[in-house]
Amino acid sequence: MTQLDTPSVVSAPDQADHRSTLTQRRQDRFARVEPKGKRVFTARERAEMLVDDGSFVEMTPLRTAGGGAGSGVVAGWGTTDGHAVVVVSHDAAVASGAIGAVMADAIMKAQRFAIDKGYPIVYINDSGGARIHDGIFALHGCGGIFANNIEAQQRIPQISLIIGPCAGAAAYSPALTDWTIMVKEQGQMFLTGPEIVKAATGEDATAEEIGGSALHTKVSGVAHLEVDSEEEAFHATRLLLSFLPTHKGGPQKRHSSVPANPGAVERLPGLVPDKSSVVFDMNALLDGVLDNGARLELMPTHAPSILTLFGRLDGHAVGILANQPNARGGILDAKASVKAARFVEFCGRFDLPVLTFVDVPGFLPGTVEEGRGVITHGAKLLKAYVETKSPKLTVVVRKAYGGAYIAMGSASLGADVNWAWSGSEIAVMGPGGAVALLHRRALKAAEEPAKLRDELAAVYREEVARPYIAAEAGIVDDVILPEETRDRMAAALRMLTHESSL
Amino acid sequence: MFAARAEIVANVWKIVAREGDQVGVGDVLAVLESMKMEIPVYAEASGFVSKVLVEVGQIVQEGDPLIEIDESHA
Repeated sequence: MTQLDTPSVVSAPDQADHRSTLTQRRQDRFARVEPKGKRVFTARERAEMLVDDGSFVEMTPLRTAGGGAGSGVVAGWGTTDGHAVVVVSHDAAVASGAIGAVMADAIMKAQRFAIDKGYPIVYINDSGGARIHDGIFALHGCGGIFANNIEAQQRIPQISLIIGPCAGAAAYSPALTDWTIMVKEQGQMFLTGPEIVKAATGEDATAEEIGGSALHTKVSGVAHLEVDSEEEAFHATRLLLSFLPTHKGGPQKRHSSVPANPGAVERLPGLVPDKSSVVFDMNALLDGVLDNGARLELMPTHAPSILTLFGRLDGHAVGILANQPNARGGILDAKASVKAARFVEFCGRFDLPVLTFVDVPGFLPGTVEEGRGVITHGAKLLKAYVETKSPKLTVVVRKAYGGAYIAMGSASLGADVNWAWSGSEIAVMGPGGAVALLHRRALKAAEEPAKLRDELAAVYREEVARPYIAAEAGIVDDVILPEETRDRMAAALRMLTHESSL
Repeated sequence: MFAARAEIVANVWKIVAREGDQVGVGDVLAVLESMKMEIPVYAEASGFVSKVLVEVGQIVQEGDPLIEIDESHA
């Protein structure tokens, strides 16, 4: 008798019986419940669609919170582009996805797995919040999920998708993760929905008004990307994961180098207007430097005066910060500072190199910004750069004035290599403002003050603000031409990531 | 009715559009000056300029309406 022979102690009818029991159990649990409202797919279908075809493995599929239904969540793992990922998908077909004690425990089990094994976790949120029937047990479970979210921050990337109305705990958990993607007109996030808002304060507002994607991706900054469909949300998540290591300290995803867009490379030397007051599109500049391939801009409509995106340079996945002159002149303000600081901090946590492209007129002054706490928020950006130990490369492409010069990844904040383009200006303030202060008396006495101011500003620009003072002092490493930027950055990245010792 | 608004606290530097002008999406209606930057104000709707609400040299706050466009006559 070999190991392959079936022992004769189990009779055929018994075997048929326990096999059919399992088949029946599976059929009951996996039976498709037609999604309600604007939902298109079930929780299980969403998890399966997010990962590579056929790769999803469900954890504890037979678990129940009673009543023959599932636990309220489909949790498991699969791969995206061949890299393992843990997925938690709220099941709105079970008590509207409300988080009870069992569901919370199932989510925490998946979180524990992701944290301990070092895999990114994606939460597909579609839940009304804590399950009222479970009382304190529901709250205790939700608190446990939050605690795991916070522990996970120092270990693995966490991405939240908002694909249904998410209230209370289902909105707080995403706020403790790294990136939140909302499906337009389908996903909402709020502390409580319209009915309770009406009862609590009398305010009459729709779910879209209280917590729709327009509010959260433009105004509040609670969410970082708005997409049109569930499929797009999964696509964006896979794209985002393609730039990230599976865990803190894990290997970076290295691709083969792709040259920059040839047309953009050709336009690069003449792209930036000489006159520092004239706006241009920073994206066109990035096109001329970065690999011509996939990119993902986060928070594109919130604080658009600064761009934050993932892309590649010479095949390295990199985080890119760049002032956007085309939006509000490219200024830094409270919101832009928070956005930028959060991005730099994230890159630092997962060892992604930070490339900073600087053309900034300064921090926006005035009563409104001071009232918003621009000092505190601006300070967060300084802190993020100093604390980030991943490779930091900075290039001033046109102007860098005052505190904003320091804040945008300057040498003093620990940039590994700093460059300035030959036409750039680095100074405590712009020529106009500096001349008005330095030559106040002469300008007051002048017959044609405007003419004198322009003349003095031109002298200041050439003699004080050009980058050679900074280069001679070693505060910028070198003055370069626009077309040299890509090669300089690529060489620095090879050195800083230990790919070559130069 | 669409109102082009100031995206930042600024000084109105130039007003390009005049009342009655036909404008299309992306046309420059005015130019603001803030932080020594020339900040264009674009039409986000097509129509005719029904009202210019500001004057050159005026200080405007973020969100202030500058120029109204009547879309019904597009």
